[in-house]
Amino acid sequence: MNIILEARQLCRNFGGLKAVHNVSFNVAEGEIFGLIGPNGAGKTTLFNLMTGLTPVSGGTLSFRGKTLTGLPPFRIAEKGIGRTFQNIRLFKGLTALDNIRVARHIRTSAGLLSSVLCTRASRNEEQQVEEKAWEILKLVGLAERGMELAANFSYGEQRRLEIGRALALDPEVLLLDEPAAGMNSAEKHSLTDFIREVRDRFNLTVLLIEHHVPLVMNLCDRIAVLNFGELIAMGAPAEVQKNPAVIEAYLGAE
Amino acid sequence: MDEFFQNNGFLIVVMVQQTLLAMSLYYPLMAGQLSLASPGFYALGGYVAAIIGTVEYFSPWRDALGWGVFPLEWLIAGVMSALLAVIVGIPALRLKGIYLALATIAFVEIVRVTCLNLDITGGAIGIFGVPQLFESRWAYIWIFGPLLAVMLYFSYRLERSRVGRAFKAIREDELAADAMGINTTRYKVLSFVIGAVLAGIVGAMSAPFLNTWNARQGTFDASIAYLAYVLIGGGRSIWGPLLGGALLSALPEVLRPLKDSRLIINGLVLVFASIYLPQGLAGALGRLKLVFRRGSRPSGGGA
Repeated sequence: MNIILEARQLCRNFGGLKAVHNVSFNVAEGEIFGLIGPNGAGKTTLFNLMTGLTPVSGGTLSFRGKTLTGLPPFRIAEKGIGRTFQNIRLFKGLTALDNIRVARHIRTSAGLLSSVLCTRASRNEEQQVEEKAWEILKLVGLAERGMELAANFSYGEQRRLEIGRALALDPEVLLLDEPAAGMNSAEKHSLTDFIREVRDRFNLTVLLIEHHVPLVMNLCDRIAVLNFGELIAMGAPAEVQKNPAVIEAYLGAE
Repeated sequence: MDEFFQNNGFLIVVMVQQTLLAMSLYYPLMAGQLSLASPGFYALGGYVAAIIGTVEYFSPWRDALGWGVFPLEWLIAGVMSALLAVIVGIPALRLKGIYLALATIAFVEIVRVTCLNLDITGGAIGIFGVPQLFESRWAYIWIFGPLLAVMLYFSYRLERSRVGRAFKAIREDELAADAMGINTTRYKVLSFVIGAVLAGIVGAMSAPFLNTWNARQGTFDASIAYLAYVLIGGGRSIWGPLLGGALLSALPEVLRPLKDSRLIINGLVLVFASIYLPQGLAGALGRLKLVFRRGSRPSGGGA
């Protein structure tokens, strides 16, 4: 198995708080890797470190052997890491279609002049972007509502649109921050199938933060457990479930 | 008809000119950046035209090019505005919201005070006798009009382009735009430069139109006036500054028979528009259109 992502001794301090402390792990290509832990364990901070939104205090992160730490977020996105957000950060005033089209930015090149002069190259590119965007909308099941503003969508639809937006980057690694939050049980169930489907179809590696235990156990190949910023367990779902340190973190010591 | 243009031609040209300046605020706003720097670039462009038009050093240019010196002035004004906008924009656009607005007002003041104290800009007196492009004031519509048409087409294309979408993504959520691969600094600066170039060119066209140029041309008052155009017209589409600029620049003239009380009405319009038209006139008209469309359809029909 090829290692696609490698975190070495990642640290992030907020003042005196060690939000992430000496976290090291490898993610293999094609894996669905779960990240769980109690509230405030540092899961989202870890995602923010990986996408450059929060600078690291120490340690390194590499993607296919190339270091990511220190790069601005847009460079990391260019390299092929797409993400969604825990509190959904769609471009709410834009249509669903435009939300997806924005994410094609890094895969296109039209500049100001060629767009305004409406050159043949820019028209072709624009047409390809539109086709690709509709294709993705279809994939996330929102094709009929492509021209509606993202703000008008239900919570579950917004989550799906956000995954679609991340997929439009053509990423190799997809980071999903609580994709099932706010979904009902039927939606959660179909989400599991959906994540597997996109993983296979686009040859993705998926990292996901999730609180819904059955979903994580069912979906993930491996799970890492964070508590107070430190990695306390890592392994296959069944192993992690039995790990005494994990049980203590969630339920307290006897 | 001829008489109408003789009497109102000046006002119509001013309306178009002010509309263009309102539009220069719109481009940064499209990327979510509230910049009030336009009067600074407007002043710069005007000085470029006034200096090339009057200073002895440039007289060979004027003799050689004839009327062709005017387009050259616009070009130089545009290029200089772009350069200055890059230099000012990179540090200033690190600020957000009202802080950026304040920094850009400071920029306008710096330009004004600098021009007030330099010899080449004529100090407090300014520059007189800027050569005219046309004999009548009304004829200036033949340069401001086409510029407006070009800018409308430019905006239309921009809204539907990769660059325009990057601007709007930054306006909607800068952090998410960054995570989606958009170099936010670069596009914020680009939006600022577009506005600056437009304001600079309008300045260069205005110096011959007004015949004189001085430090009163780009002031804090102008910043606020342009902001009012965009606030009242609406900042979400290019029709906002178009409507706001045209209506508000005409208002004081239309109300002139009321003498001093016209300023009261002017102020009331500003206050009520900002209370009752939060999306501006363009936003209100857009909603009206939506209501009519919905009304003509059987109920429950989505967009």
